[in-house]
Amino acid sequence: MRLEKCWFCSSTVYPGHGIQFVRNDAKVFRFCRSKCHKNFKMKRNPRKVKWTKAYRRLHGKDMTQDSTFEFERKRNRPERYDRNLAENTLKAIKKIDKVREDRAAGHHTLRMKGKKAKKQREEAKELEQGISLVKAPSVLQEEPSLTLPKIKVKVSHQESQENRAMEE
Amino acid sequence: MVQYNFKKITVVPSATDFINIILSRTQRQTPTVVHKGYAISRLRQFYMRKVKYTQQNFHDKLSTIIEEFPRLDDIHPFYGDLLHVLYNKDHYKLALGAINTARNQIGKVAKDYVKLLKYGDSLYRCKSLKVAALGRMCTLVKKLSGSLAYLEQIRQHMARLPSIDPNTRTLLICGYPNVGKSSFMNKITRADVDVQPYAFTTKSLFVGHTDYKYLRYQVIDTPGILDRPFEDRNIIEMCSITALAHLRSAVLFFLDISGSCGYSIAQQAALFHSIKSLFMNKPLMIVCNKTDLQPLEGLSEGDMKLVMEMKAEAMKTVIGQGGEATDDEGVLLTMSTLTEDGVMAVKNAACGRLLNQRVEIKMKSKKINDCLNRFHVAIPKPRDQKERPACIPQAVLEARAQQAAEKEKRKTERDLEDENGGAGVYSASLKKNYILANEEWKEDILPEILDGHNVADFIDPDILMRLEELEREEGMRQVEDDEDFEMDGKDLTPEEQEALAAIRKKKSMLIQQHRVKKSTAESRPTVPRKFDKSREFTTKRMGRQLSSLGLDPSLAIERARSRSRGRKRERSPERGDAMDVDTDESNKKLRTRSRSRSRSMSRPPTEFVPGAGFKDSEQKVKAIKLAKKSVKKRNKNARRGEADRVIPTLKPKHLFSGKRSIGKTDRR
Repeated sequence: MRLEKCWFCSSTVYPGHGIQFVRNDAKVFRFCRSKCHKNFKMKRNPRKVKWTKAYRRLHGKDMTQDSTFEFERKRNRPERYDRNLAENTLKAIKKIDKVREDRAAGHHTLRMKGKKAKKQREEAKELEQGISLVKAPSVLQEEPSLTLPKIKVKVSHQESQENRAMEE
Repeated sequence: MVQYNFKKITVVPSATDFINIILSRTQRQTPTVVHKGYAISRLRQFYMRKVKYTQQNFHDKLSTIIEEFPRLDDIHPFYGDLLHVLYNKDHYKLALGAINTARNQIGKVAKDYVKLLKYGDSLYRCKSLKVAALGRMCTLVKKLSGSLAYLEQIRQHMARLPSIDPNTRTLLICGYPNVGKSSFMNKITRADVDVQPYAFTTKSLFVGHTDYKYLRYQVIDTPGILDRPFEDRNIIEMCSITALAHLRSAVLFFLDISGSCGYSIAQQAALFHSIKSLFMNKPLMIVCNKTDLQPLEGLSEGDMKLVMEMKAEAMKTVIGQGGEATDDEGVLLTMSTLTEDGVMAVKNAACGRLLNQRVEIKMKSKKINDCLNRFHVAIPKPRDQKERPACIPQAVLEARAQQAAEKEKRKTERDLEDENGGAGVYSASLKKNYILANEEWKEDILPEILDGHNVADFIDPDILMRLEELEREEGMRQVEDDEDFEMDGKDLTPEEQEALAAIRKKKSMLIQQHRVKKSTAESRPTVPRKFDKSREFTTKRMGRQLSSLGLDPSLAIERARSRSRGRKRERSPERGDAMDVDTDESNKKLRTRSRSRSRSMSRPPTEFVPGAGFKDSEQKVKAIKLAKKSVKKRNKNARRGEADRVIPTLKPKHLFSGKRSIGKTDRR
């Protein structure tokens, strides 16, 4: 039993899921679900489809090169069974996973850095441009700060008189 | 070796079929169209052709029949006699003769009529000549109907005759009915002859083949022969007699010494003596069958004497062949086909004797001299008296012995399975023979998948080392990472944040409204604002919006109001009283009544409309109440009402049938 990678989105295909397609040149394409399969049939390039791992790696959104990837590699030579080795391997898998996760998070924060200044500039601009939507320009001239005006609704005299008549 | 194969004779059609075939062929293969306006020579030629064509076909077909049926004088006398026995030579010859005469006569007819046709002077005359010619030919063939039917029968029977080669090595089995000839036949060959308790189960000759010393022998099973004078014999017996007479074979005379065939040994001996003339020059063997019921030694005196007489006769044949004078082992044999005791011995003895006889004859004939000169058997002269047996090394002998011993001792997996409860209960441990560093590890189960990874991909002898390296790296990296992130100034103040939030909210509201407006634009008429039926654009609303921006709305409200009220004041100055009366009603009613609005507003349901069916609004209100009450219970129980949709036909034909004039119909 082996877990395979989906050809399109690179997620793991568990046993009992997905479809395998064997082309005439004997190349096998595995898909995790019909979404990937249908995209493949539409001849879409996974490198251009935003939500696939191929795209993300290509455009630097996810971590590409790391020594943790070297641990998981398909070896074709079978090793003789050794209980200690097996134990160590199982424990190591967990640790390697954790390390990889941490490193991926670091990669993400690094990517997100340097956005703050840009964000602040954008906000300032938006404020400047859009203040007329919430505060009339004449009022702005009188009071140049960015506080919002208080809402005051004036009720007309006639209506108030009539209401009083109804109540009586 | 000619193989007598009578299967290749073409089917003989019956007379009527024959005629139909020929005539239809004439009609199809010759031109059919002729008019009386043609030149006379053309007419004559047309009809002559038909006559000649028909004659030719008759001639061909009859010739094939005559040629394909064998001539009894030309084939091997065995077959000749056999066919005579079965079908009566004379009758057969007569039939073929009749066909021959018919053939000649047809030829004559055709010749005559062609001669006459040469002088035919009109279409009608030529045509009637042709009709006459064809008619006579067909009558001739009709007369043949008996012969043709007979020949067809013969053909079918002949095709099923066993293909006996009269010249090869043959064993012939004969004797009284029910003595066990066919059972013996079944035992030594693959022929599946019927074996039944009644006499004359075998009604014709059967052939089987058996092997002896790399040579193939024919074995012929005959029907039983009864002891009768020659003339009285029936066809079935005559078959066996024919076979005996003509085939140069070894004869096995079967004797039933137990008497269970229904005939005593005396009767069988009598038969033997009556047909012993047929055994001339053939290696004869007396076979005593059914020894399981009665062994040879247990026979009575008289019977024993009879048997010995027969044996003596048989011996004569042995002596006559120039073999050893006192070779009586192969002359009288006992066996039992039921227990298969002695069957092979009999076969071997018979084959052996036959072979010897044939070899002897060949040796004596002149032909052998041609061959003898051609080959020479070289035997190496022994150098000395030393014996030189095969040399097998000691190691090989030992290995062989060991292997033999091992084969008996070794316990197979299957034995193990049987011991532990059979196939369903025991499942073999496949890991039993693993070669591991530690024996305890044999039955370990290693998971193949862990946390979404294949464990097999991670297994590596130096994984520990690499893991250590990794952890070291990780440790170093974490140390480096403890730098501060740059904090830029210019964060927004809370007021600014509020303002920004309000701006964004306002923007999203505008966008939403616009989207709603856009989506309903198709079904909604674009009406200018003064026809504002839903009363959206009120002064109150305007006031609210303006003040939210921070402006003072009162001036704007007054201006708006004055413009709307102004019209009324201009038009009806005397209506000031009406205005006072109206102050009792609410503002909304005022607005609805005012004529400055558009007139297309719908009425409230309780309003009294004169001429609509109610005398006043009170009655209308009551009616509405009653109506509502009547449906209240139904609604509460969620029952279907009059207005609830009903589908009168669940499967309207126009939706479920018919083809589309263009497009596919795989959805309905």
